[in-house]
Amino acid sequence: VSDLLAWGRRYLMCPPQHFGVLYEINPWMNREVSVDPDEARAQWDGLVGTLRDAGAEVVIMPPRAEVPDLVFTANAGLVNGGQFVPSHFRHPERRPETSINAAWFAARGWHVDHLPDELDHEGAGDALPFTPEAGQTVLLSGYSFRSDASAATELSTLLRCAVRPVQLVDPRLYHVDLTFCPLDRRRAIVAPLGWDDYGRKVVEALVPEPLVLSDDEALGFCANSVVVGTTVVMPTVPPRVGRQLERWGFTVAECRVDEFLKAGGGCRCLTLALDVVLSPEAPPAPVPTAP
Amino acid sequence: MGTETIEVTGHIVDSLLLAKILDSILEAGCDYEIVEFRIGKTNLDTSQARIEVSGGDEVLGPLLDALQIHGANRVAHTDARLVPAEVDGVLPPGFYSTTNLATEVRVDGQWLTVDNPEMDCALVVLDGRARTAPMHRVRAGDAVVVGSDGVRVRAPAHARDTQVFEFMASEVSSEKPKALLVAKVAERLRAARERGGKVLAVCGPAVVHTGGAPDLARLVTAGWVDVLFAGNGFATHDIEASVLGTSLGVSVAEGVPTEGGHANHIRVINEIRRHGSIAAAVDAGFVSGGVMHACVRAGVPFVLGGSIRDDGPLPDVITDAVAAADALREHVPGVEVALMLASTLHAIATGNCLPAWVETFCVDINQAVVTKLADRGSHQALGIVTDVGPFVRQLADHLLGAA
Repeated sequence: VSDLLAWGRRYLMCPPQHFGVLYEINPWMNREVSVDPDEARAQWDGLVGTLRDAGAEVVIMPPRAEVPDLVFTANAGLVNGGQFVPSHFRHPERRPETSINAAWFAARGWHVDHLPDELDHEGAGDALPFTPEAGQTVLLSGYSFRSDASAATELSTLLRCAVRPVQLVDPRLYHVDLTFCPLDRRRAIVAPLGWDDYGRKVVEALVPEPLVLSDDEALGFCANSVVVGTTVVMPTVPPRVGRQLERWGFTVAECRVDEFLKAGGGCRCLTLALDVVLSPEAPPAPVPTAP
Repeated sequence: MGTETIEVTGHIVDSLLLAKILDSILEAGCDYEIVEFRIGKTNLDTSQARIEVSGGDEVLGPLLDALQIHGANRVAHTDARLVPAEVDGVLPPGFYSTTNLATEVRVDGQWLTVDNPEMDCALVVLDGRARTAPMHRVRAGDAVVVGSDGVRVRAPAHARDTQVFEFMASEVSSEKPKALLVAKVAERLRAARERGGKVLAVCGPAVVHTGGAPDLARLVTAGWVDVLFAGNGFATHDIEASVLGTSLGVSVAEGVPTEGGHANHIRVINEIRRHGSIAAAVDAGFVSGGVMHACVRAGVPFVLGGSIRDDGPLPDVITDAVAAADALREHVPGVEVALMLASTLHAIATGNCLPAWVETFCVDINQAVVTKLADRGSHQALGIVTDVGPFVRQLADHLLGAA
């Protein structure tokens, strides 16, 4: 493991009390497939436990009946120290989440900045930071299925951080967090299947040592993993991927979240890192209070 | 063809977004020009590019819609700014200076197509119409377009038959197969005539010196030339050749100087002046052959523009250069093919008045003439470096059969 990620020790999660596949807004969703609520809860609890075991703190956000996808907190928005930019969702089904997220963060001391109304961006689901050993943090932002390319420009102004938009081309990998998982300051899990040629070149230039997923591995949501220091929490661990991570010095924890895969979400989708700092100019994160 | 301006801002260099947008434009068969590019100095600064995209109307719209996905948005257009001219013949400061390309002006939210594209003119808007106006024709109170807001030009369509002319492109060369070029020019004339377009011939005296006059006369008589521009020299030598059999005193048939021939052209001019006009001299039977005779007989309009070194001149010659250029302009609408035959001065004068879409063939033994024409903005001119007499003969043979 080279220089560890400077973030990923504190996560926001929302229990799946109201979770279900109630609508279809990505190719994984099928309303005829029913979610087992008990199994979903058990898997979610399992993820919370795995993260805590790895040394992360988990902050819980109360669920809301009218927004089943609130469970996917990665899409709440973007955290930059004490600044929070709530997502603007492309699909009307998820738009009510924006004000809920904004209110939650504002109530806990975050300064909330908004994207212009006409631009969609789905938060940490479509933007993940990579900080090269020598250099400033770059936010790799996906666009096309859920986020607008122009939102990247707005975000770079709001967050004072370089944002590189890459086009997502496979509807099954509709968010950038299904294609990209920063591991440390040299390495990241990458799924080229999700990007066009330009996007592949951008990532190639950004990440010195990528762990390149095969198409099958990518579609198994391998990149939708959570990194806590040297622990990588993955929804499935193909042996080849696990061996490579271990060679690099990571510990791999498999954490099954099958019930959530029915809605097109994996481990990363269920979490939002609260300790991300994208810019040296970011306001300090608020002192944690009881949820 | 249409042209639209798009703008894209952000980390567009590192994200290869700009490269992708430019590639997409070319892949769609459109073309672009980066009209403005501001590169961010640091990693954090965003860059901004303003790009003019041009292409066929059927592909441009869908392309721009597709580019929006990558964050490239159409630049909102504003109306053109109109400022009344204060004085006759003087344009307001900052006036929009035209190109010879198809041009549109936005007035009250509507794009008006400029009636008569011509380079180096002003744009005047009157009663919901936009037209080009040469400086001297602008009158006090005319609404003149100032600045470039609300003005857009449509990129020139490349030679309609690109395959045919691809190999000549805009290159001037004496190394091209002439017979093939003549055949292609003949094809373009046929095509123009089928479309109902006019053919313009601009002639220099070398047409007569090299023995091309009888063949050009054949073309005029057969209706292949709709309007003719020339100077005093061409008309004089054409008439001299017809009346006395010499051109500048040299026998056109024998190629030898004739005794006292140096004065032949001036004597001919004198006789035409006695008749009052070329047409009168034709009617009186004094001129019975040649190109000018053919024009009079066939009712083909001609404009003879004078110059400072002219002898005489012939009574038909317009010696006021500005009036001569205006007379040219009257005949430009409808012209689709222009043949510049061994003429420098008049070819450039004509080129100045022609819209860029007019197929222009510049035939000259001197490569420099073609280059000159292109350098003065008539980029559409295709050069054929050859002796003009044989060229005209071959062209006439192609269109009319051997004489």
